Amino acid sequence: MSKLGAVVEAVEKREKFVLEQVQRARTDQQFAQQVMDRWNKIKSEIPVSKTPTGLPLPRLALPELDEAGEIARYLFGDGLPGEFPFLNGAYREMYLEPLRQAEVQDKKSGSPNGSNGKKNGARPPEEPTRLFSGLMLAEDTNKRFHFLSAHQRSKRLSTAFDGPTLYGIDSDADGVFGKIGEGGVAVDTVEDMVRLYDGFEIGSPDFSASMTISGPAPIIMAMYIAAAKRRFGPGVVANLRGTIQADIFKEVQAQNETIFPIEASLRFLLDMIEWTSQNMPRWYPVSISGYHIGEAGSTPVQQAAYTLSNGFAYVEMLMARGADVNVFGPRLSFFLDCGLDAEYIALSRVSRKIWAIGMREVFGADRRAQMFKLHTQTSGRSLIAAEFKNNLTRTAAELMLAYMNGTNSCHSNSADEPFTTPSEEWIRLAAHGQAILLEESGIFKHTMNMLTGSPGMKAVERAVETAILDEFREIESLGGVMGAVENRYQRSQIQNAAHRYEQQIYDGTRPIVGLNRYRNAAEEMPEIELARTSRAKQKLQVDRLMKFKKKNAGKAKGALDKLVKVVERGENCFPALLEAAEVCSLGQITGRLQEVVGHFRPMV
Amino acid sequence: MAAPIRVLTAVPICDGHDSAINTINLEFIRHGIEVVYLGFHRYVGDIVRAAIQEDVAAVGISSYNGGHIEFFAEVVKQLKRKGAGDIKVFGGGGGTITHDDAREMKQKGVDQIFFAGTSLAEMAKFVHDRYGKPRGKRVKPKSADQELAHRLTAIEDGFQDGKRRTSNAERSTSKSEKRHQTSNIKHQTSVIGFTGPGGAGKTTLIDELVLRFLNHNSRSRIAILSHDPSVIGEGALLGDRATMINSQDDRVFMRSMATRGQAGGLSPATESCLNLLAHSGFDYVIIETVGTGQEALPFRNQLVDQTILVMNPDYGARLQLQKIVMLDVADIVVVNKTDLERAKAALSEIEHRLTQNKRKQQIVATVAKRHRDRGVDELFELITSKTGGKS
Repeated sequence: MSKLGAVVEAVEKREKFVLEQVQRARTDQQFAQQVMDRWNKIKSEIPVSKTPTGLPLPRLALPELDEAGEIARYLFGDGLPGEFPFLNGAYREMYLEPLRQAEVQDKKSGSPNGSNGKKNGARPPEEPTRLFSGLMLAEDTNKRFHFLSAHQRSKRLSTAFDGPTLYGIDSDADGVFGKIGEGGVAVDTVEDMVRLYDGFEIGSPDFSASMTISGPAPIIMAMYIAAAKRRFGPGVVANLRGTIQADIFKEVQAQNETIFPIEASLRFLLDMIEWTSQNMPRWYPVSISGYHIGEAGSTPVQQAAYTLSNGFAYVEMLMARGADVNVFGPRLSFFLDCGLDAEYIALSRVSRKIWAIGMREVFGADRRAQMFKLHTQTSGRSLIAAEFKNNLTRTAAELMLAYMNGTNSCHSNSADEPFTTPSEEWIRLAAHGQAILLEESGIFKHTMNMLTGSPGMKAVERAVETAILDEFREIESLGGVMGAVENRYQRSQIQNAAHRYEQQIYDGTRPIVGLNRYRNAAEEMPEIELARTSRAKQKLQVDRLMKFKKKNAGKAKGALDKLVKVVERGENCFPALLEAAEVCSLGQITGRLQEVVGHFRPMV
Repeated sequence: MAAPIRVLTAVPICDGHDSAINTINLEFIRHGIEVVYLGFHRYVGDIVRAAIQEDVAAVGISSYNGGHIEFFAEVVKQLKRKGAGDIKVFGGGGGTITHDDAREMKQKGVDQIFFAGTSLAEMAKFVHDRYGKPRGKRVKPKSADQELAHRLTAIEDGFQDGKRRTSNAERSTSKSEKRHQTSNIKHQTSVIGFTGPGGAGKTTLIDELVLRFLNHNSRSRIAILSHDPSVIGEGALLGDRATMINSQDDRVFMRSMATRGQAGGLSPATESCLNLLAHSGFDYVIIETVGTGQEALPFRNQLVDQTILVMNPDYGARLQLQKIVMLDVADIVVVNKTDLERAKAALSEIEHRLTQNKRKQQIVATVAKRHRDRGVDELFELITSKTGGKS
């Protein structure tokens, strides 16, 4: 059996503990006094900022409580932002404008600042906006990245790869012509990786790259490192910032982009996590993702439950290999979908809490390893082609929910996504939606907890938490995540939910404006300029790849032979992958590895 | 009652978006359609081969990762080139396929493209209206596979009509058999039956054995007759192909059959179809039943040369073993998934149960999902050595 059952117990125990603290604060006077003292101290230390009209607002909003029991319930049950169990946020201040120097001196209590953990007056917190792109060839995506980030202080690039790359197949393989550069960028070699981020200072604190790829992730990671070394020398490796998705469990549960058998995929993944968490302290080597589970049709609760349980399973496996939870734990990150269903009012908040409790109580993790670092993307599935401009409103509402949940970073979908690779016009609007919410509006920039703590949100938290724990019990009864995967439990649950969703749309119980309500019969599909990869470009990619293979033929053989030996010996294969990535194409490496470990057997 | 419509559904290469197709498959089944599901990340060649072998009326492709114009056109082109232009192609891709794309795809021979917003019921109705007509005179087969596929359809549909055509179809000599006879090879076909409870891993085991058959002899050809249950009053999801890797090969002929109302793990047409396959020049014909219960005894009338019962260690209490009838008649009992906790106990309990029979039954422990599993190697040796001694 897995540790998931222990997580369920830990969460239940925590709830009981909170109730005990409430009772104790009501019966034990000394304890009550301690609680009240702490509360008053917290309140007195909250800095105040002013709105543009001059209205003073506290930088942290707290519930108006004056009874020790209720205060204990809040402090132990929810926690302040940045405090266990992190319901209100992984950090104390997240999207707040930096406090002006004058105000800091007014109130001498510096508050620990956001994601980089530095004091006010130093670096302002990292901007949460992420720009997702990937199209055609590396140079085309590179151009798009420069366009998108031209006006941003920090460059936070998120990369989508084309189908062949996602499946570890080279662009010159039989049967993939037509797919090259479609739906994402084509990357076959380290040279493509150099082109992809050309012109960006990839070792700088103002740059981070995120790569949305899982099946061949360790190989792509190795290529990224090789490309960085080519441009900036070996010293750059320790400074690399970013995330690679690399989430094998969600692939076999939902997204199906797996290329090796599960056990082998997991082994390559854990090798990478171990290596990067020791050598690249700022890199997130796995993004434990519910997004694709949600997009494949799961309910929001299933999404959170499968994501969290997958995360706990990785932790369990890494610890079983002897890895230190306090070294790799802070390098785990999460990725959730945010749609329009009521559950999303608190889904990520609850996920953060369950993660923290599980990590602390079951795995003995320290504070940094308890924090659930979350990237959110608005729901692609909630967008539709009919009257697609409505998608702006859908995405705006989802963004609001994402930030109410205290996400650490967010990507907003572009309204034209249901029918094309997002065009520059609509991508800009999507990014601006975030700027309007965070910078223009006063909703998030003055006060932490501005919109949290309502009775409705609390009700959703309770209901969602109970439902997630029920899902955990079910998974545990099937032998934990691995057992449930082999029983195709998650897959069938997701498929059933997807089918129900479709039926609800068609019977009208799930209203979709422009589709089953207020439908505009006269509407025609908009004329759109499609970002398709021309045959000439596809051919260019194939030609470049063939040249690369020819040039490196001799070295490639040696590197692959060495890689195979390391894999067969059962050692950490990531260093050998790093060497292979210098001289081999993606397809050469996956092909050779598949000879040794086999192919993934698809699940239905 | 007319025979159910058979369609093949698949998702193209480098595309794992199976959410839509899974939902559509379920809906098709509800509307009485038999769906052979090939799965995701499939090459054009795999789709065309499967469509011809399964002799479906149409192929439905769900594409979300781009490149659809080329991919659909290539499926149409290859079907035509292989003489199977009667198998039609339709599909969709949510919003990723534009109306302009769809026009171009139709010019290239695609029947229909569905857009986002089309109801599931509309799609099912389309399939019924467009592909539900009884087949007219069949085109002249261009390959042995195609001829065999047509004849299997004739047998299966014959049973549906209530005319139990026992052996007319299989009596005449098939092209492939002729081929073997003229090249003066006296052909030995060994028929191997696989049965066992659902979830024991029969399909994975067969696919792993196929890899070994193919590697063992570079000229051998294999047929697989696989069964899935018909849903009462509805169609069937014939999904074994979707989880197979090694059986997507030109040397493997696979046919998926729905039980069409017959209990016991096989279809009314199985015996006749098997007869035809056994005389079509294959080295091995593998037949896989649906997941069976304790009382099942699917292979009667000396239908097969060897019977293999595939179990997993989770059969419950020891007493349950006494009730599994197949344990008395199987030639080989495979205990798969022996990486599970209960495996050791299960193996010794089953072994003990078999000694009571006092027959020369063999027991093999496998982990079929494992690459190059030694247990599967052992099973392969057992099967091939027995075949050698067959008269």
